[in-house]
Amino acid sequence: MIGRAASKEVGTGAKRRRPALAPMVLAALVAAVFIIPTVIDNPFVYHVFITICIFAGLSTAWNLVGGYAGQLSLGHMMFYGIGAYAGVILMNTGVSPWIGMLVGAAVAVVVAVIVSYPCFILRGPFFALATIALLEVFRVLALHFRDVTGGATGLMIQLRLGWEWMVFRDRLPALVIAFGLMLVCLFVGWLIRSRRLGFYLVATRERESAARAAGVPTVRVRLVAVAASAALTAMIGTYHAMYLTFIEPGAVFSLTMSIQIAMFALIGGIGTVFGPFLGALLLVPLTELVRGWLGAQALGLHGFVYGTVLVLAALFMPDGIMGLVARFKGTEGRPDDSTAPQAEAIAAEPRQPADTTEPTPQPATGAEIMRVDGLSKSFGGLRVIEHASFTLREGEILGLIGPNGAGKTTLFNMISGFMEPDQGDVAVRDRAGDWVRPKSPMEYAALGIGRTFQIVQPFAAMTVEENIMVGAFHRHGHVGDARAVARETAHKMGLGPYLDAEARGLTIGGLKRLEVARVMAMEPRVLLLDEVMAGINQTDVRRAIDLMLSIRDGGVSIIAIEHVMQAVMSLSDRVIVLNSGHIITEGPPREVVQDPEVIEAYLGKEFAHA
Amino acid sequence: MRIRALAATSVLALTIMAPQAMAEVKFGALYPFSGPLALLGEESARGLEIAVDEINAAGGVQGEQVVLARGDAVDPNQAIGEARRLISLENVKAVFGTYSSSRSMAASQVAELSGIPYFELGAVADDITERGFTYVYRTNPTADSMAKLIVKMLVDKVAPALGKEPGDLRIGIIHEDSNYGTSVAGHQEDYGEEAGLNIVSVQGYPASIVDMSSIVLSLKEANVDVVLQTSYQNDSVLFLQQANEAGLKPAAIVGGGGGYSMMPTAEAVGTDLIEGVLDADFTQYAVNTDFTPGLEDFVAAYRDKYGSDPRSGHSLNNYVGAMAILQALDEADGLDPDAILKAVNAIDIENGTTAAGYGIKFGDGNQNERAFMMGMQWQGGKLVTVYPDDAAVAEMAITQ
Amino acid sequence: MDTFLQVLVNGIMLGGLFTIVAIGLTLIFGIVKVINFAHGEFLMVGMYLAYLLTVGLGVHPYVTVVALAPALFVLGALAQRFIIQPLLAARDEHVQIFATVGLSTALINLALMVFGADIVNTPSSGLRTPLEIGPVRVLIGQICILVTAVVAVIGLQLFLGRTNTGRAIRAVAQNRTAAQLMGINANRMHILTFGIGTACVGVAAALVAPLYPTSPNIGTYFVLTAFVVVVLGGLGSIPGALLGAMVIGVVDAMSGFYIGSDLREAVVFGMFLVILILRPSGLLGSRSTLSHVSP
Repeated sequence: MIGRAASKEVGTGAKRRRPALAPMVLAALVAAVFIIPTVIDNPFVYHVFITICIFAGLSTAWNLVGGYAGQLSLGHMMFYGIGAYAGVILMNTGVSPWIGMLVGAAVAVVVAVIVSYPCFILRGPFFALATIALLEVFRVLALHFRDVTGGATGLMIQLRLGWEWMVFRDRLPALVIAFGLMLVCLFVGWLIRSRRLGFYLVATRERESAARAAGVPTVRVRLVAVAASAALTAMIGTYHAMYLTFIEPGAVFSLTMSIQIAMFALIGGIGTVFGPFLGALLLVPLTELVRGWLGAQALGLHGFVYGTVLVLAALFMPDGIMGLVARFKGTEGRPDDSTAPQAEAIAAEPRQPADTTEPTPQPATGAEIMRVDGLSKSFGGLRVIEHASFTLREGEILGLIGPNGAGKTTLFNMISGFMEPDQGDVAVRDRAGDWVRPKSPMEYAALGIGRTFQIVQPFAAMTVEENIMVGAFHRHGHVGDARAVARETAHKMGLGPYLDAEARGLTIGGLKRLEVARVMAMEPRVLLLDEVMAGINQTDVRRAIDLMLSIRDGGVSIIAIEHVMQAVMSLSDRVIVLNSGHIITEGPPREVVQDPEVIEAYLGKEFAHA
Repeated sequence: MRIRALAATSVLALTIMAPQAMAEVKFGALYPFSGPLALLGEESARGLEIAVDEINAAGGVQGEQVVLARGDAVDPNQAIGEARRLISLENVKAVFGTYSSSRSMAASQVAELSGIPYFELGAVADDITERGFTYVYRTNPTADSMAKLIVKMLVDKVAPALGKEPGDLRIGIIHEDSNYGTSVAGHQEDYGEEAGLNIVSVQGYPASIVDMSSIVLSLKEANVDVVLQTSYQNDSVLFLQQANEAGLKPAAIVGGGGGYSMMPTAEAVGTDLIEGVLDADFTQYAVNTDFTPGLEDFVAAYRDKYGSDPRSGHSLNNYVGAMAILQALDEADGLDPDAILKAVNAIDIENGTTAAGYGIKFGDGNQNERAFMMGMQWQGGKLVTVYPDDAAVAEMAITQ
Repeated sequence: MDTFLQVLVNGIMLGGLFTIVAIGLTLIFGIVKVINFAHGEFLMVGMYLAYLLTVGLGVHPYVTVVALAPALFVLGALAQRFIIQPLLAARDEHVQIFATVGLSTALINLALMVFGADIVNTPSSGLRTPLEIGPVRVLIGQICILVTAVVAVIGLQLFLGRTNTGRAIRAVAQNRTAAQLMGINANRMHILTFGIGTACVGVAAALVAPLYPTSPNIGTYFVLTAFVVVVLGGLGSIPGALLGAMVIGVVDAMSGFYIGSDLREAVVFGMFLVILILRPSGLLGSRSTLSHVSP
């Protein structure tokens, strides 16, 4: 989806094997933004670099929402405007803009949370349109309530000089503050991206349903991102108002500027920590120079060139500067074309004691862990599941079979919180031994119920390791711990060689294993597997069976939807047969396959072929 | 990093090393040359350029040829950047500008803090000269002058022509909702109340509006005799057309500059429709030239240089302000900021002796206290000056 | 009461204007699913062309439609082929948005270079003549816009529903891959749809130009309103666009008159937000078009 380079950024510092060039170059560039103007010591150069800091800061803050969370906000100037007005209004009543900055940030956070919450149901361009509409509403309101905002005539600050008032005759202090704000934004951007929150945001952006299954509080993480972004944007707004000394609704609630900061991020690399900074660093001076050369030449020539460059940039470097950097850096962290097809072949050897390689179904001796009671679901007039009831015990493997359209996946969706049943309920025994009735995917995940999806749902822009880490974060909040768990799981699943490869480059078999690995990393108590063996080759089926048995031996209960009969027969302690929404029978696999009803409904044909 | 620093320095050095001729003095010309305000920004700059040509032809300022360095003030942040560039990279001795009030507010503050004189020749927001700045001067009349003139014109001329007491006129005020329209409308309300006018409706709208039928209807409902509109071009055209189509026929429509002073507006709505419409603005061209000596020469110079008639009075007013300043600088003792201030503070030009009619003397806040607007009327497809009487070339025609 | 009627009629006329401008966007946004911020600028280009042709050839502005529709069709098809289509593969749909924003900026400034910032006026050729119908007044030109809008809505609806090409377009809209398997060239359908969408803008330009002053920035006002109309009516629903435009037109006129002109944008956009959130399928959209809302 967004910025292929996105993933590469994540905590790379920690795992680099050799001293990396890129971070040093970046640090040098950041420092240069401060050093160049102080060395040249010219007010115009100061202005250009202060502008770079302001736009880099705004763009980095925007990136938390537009990049990490993937919600394209084109109305971000509403937060900037809130900060600007808070600062100026308070300053004119004698309150220092430093306090105004905090007040503005607080108001912006409140506004951000209130307006974003309902808007998060909107995807892609619709979120963008909603934010544009919001920005317009804010601008019109600022024009209307002139008692507070001064209306169209705008507000001017009283020219009081000094650190307390953020207004200076010298340029250096202004640069110090702008640079400081930019650093704060970059730091927050880096911090979020390298912590669990960042992984959760990217995971939510890439596959919301898979993220929810992994226990990610998808709404909450996005609200946190929006709040942080709004606060930073508002703080820069306050400072910029002091720098401009004059604000008016049209200038602070500006759609053009909203698009501009998003564009800096695009050019630099959306979703990367330093992309927006690079975009601003490149484009702000360029714009100044181009304006100098072309601005006076012909009416509109400058804008024409600007627009054309934007189109070309979108066409030829959609991943931005960071994308180009990644491309030139070569294949590191990217599946090599020559190795990708072999993904199947190098799958890890099962590392189990010899005696478990034979299918030896063990009696389900554990206590009940999940009770499903009378679940029913219909879509329109069609009854998909009718009065399904069964129980699952600890350490049991329960096979769920039935012809296509029998309602297996619907049943799965209901026992993982993705779909609300019309009737009946699901009870799960929590770790303390009490029976609870979870409702949302998050609550299911919290109880230790993990699921895979029939259609694999990788977080495409993340590496294999990061994909698994999203699951691992469920139990391990720290990046280091989660990484360790993820690696261990990856090796167990035969994904060891691909840790740094992007998920999108894996073969279907690899993706299926990744799907299971992500759930395994959650260290679940109950594992819901939806056709993990479909479409993979014979050797891998064998391995997968061994793997499931070893998981079961670790005390995990498994419910598996499976069409591969070999697997069902050798794995399951018990089999449930679903047909047309009804459970027609359940019992040990050998008994079930002899049930005439089952043979008629389903197995007969299969066996005829076998 | 050193390499980068070096590269950056050399790039800057390149821009600094603009061609330098001999014995030149450089001033900044800071206007919106691109973006939505480009048309009148450009028109304003032409007045300054003609003034510079004239001064150079007469030997320049203190024997040095005047060169203009252009700055493009597309938005307030850009205005600040360009002001900084002009002052610190181009090393201009003073900055002229700016047409747009919000750009002027931002840029003039840069000049003030840098101690470089800033001459505003065209922006009308009152605040510009109400900030107590030392280095910022304004030669042109303001939003306040515009509203004052309109109200005076209503009381002195329009009401008597309609045979009514000023207090009996029902007045509707509409304005575009940016700084310009809002501040003029605000002053219209204040002066109107002072003069005892009956203001029945005040409405703002965004300048980009495409349909004004609601406003027209509500004015019609309010049964207004006079409509005061402060507007740009698009909304002036829309209002005049839609008012006509909806059958709103107030006894007088008074425009506040902007779109009402422009020929394309008249062409757009047709000369029939705009006939009799009043307008308050900077001095325009159909004016009693006894009161505005030098006007004809200016128009001739404009035609020579740009191959057309001036498109609005902005060029004229920028020209008059720039001429007064440049002539004063010629008399000054050097061109350091203090010398410039001293020379400019000494300016004392009587009314009726400049091409714009108004004289120049800087008063409170360095605002030209002699500046005033003029009242015009569209008659026979031309915008002719009808008020004040000194400058009038025609009688105001008000039909009941 | 007469005033209310007049406001209502003004609103309906405004609705006609919004319909004719937004109907092309319904195809582009609702069916190709491309968010085209340059839509307003296509209208602007069309209006300038209408002006040039009308003044240059001395013909009635409506005659220019024979040149405008094909010209805009080509312009739109080119934009789809060379700007949008290469970006379909981009992982990030945001990139498309930026590309069309860039196109919009470039076109506005191109117009500024060619025509200057001044407004131009296409001769109205009698279209501005008011008609008095009972207590209300409307312009001949406004009635023409309304009638054309309704005809265009019916025509497009029939085209999409009754012709093979129209069915192919809808098939591609619903499931690109499946349509391709059926032997439909999806790329060509998208270019065609985009072209038809912009050709509608060409028709709109010929109708709008004689009534409204043309300036480089005219498109920016229309484009947001057009998006509001399309979303309000329901994605891809042609009759929905008509209904949405009427609602927006009437709300615009009513709020302008009864609430105040300075707040009417806030009312229109506020209503848009509320509908987007509470009824994301729009007024006439079906649930199946809800690709923009997360489950």
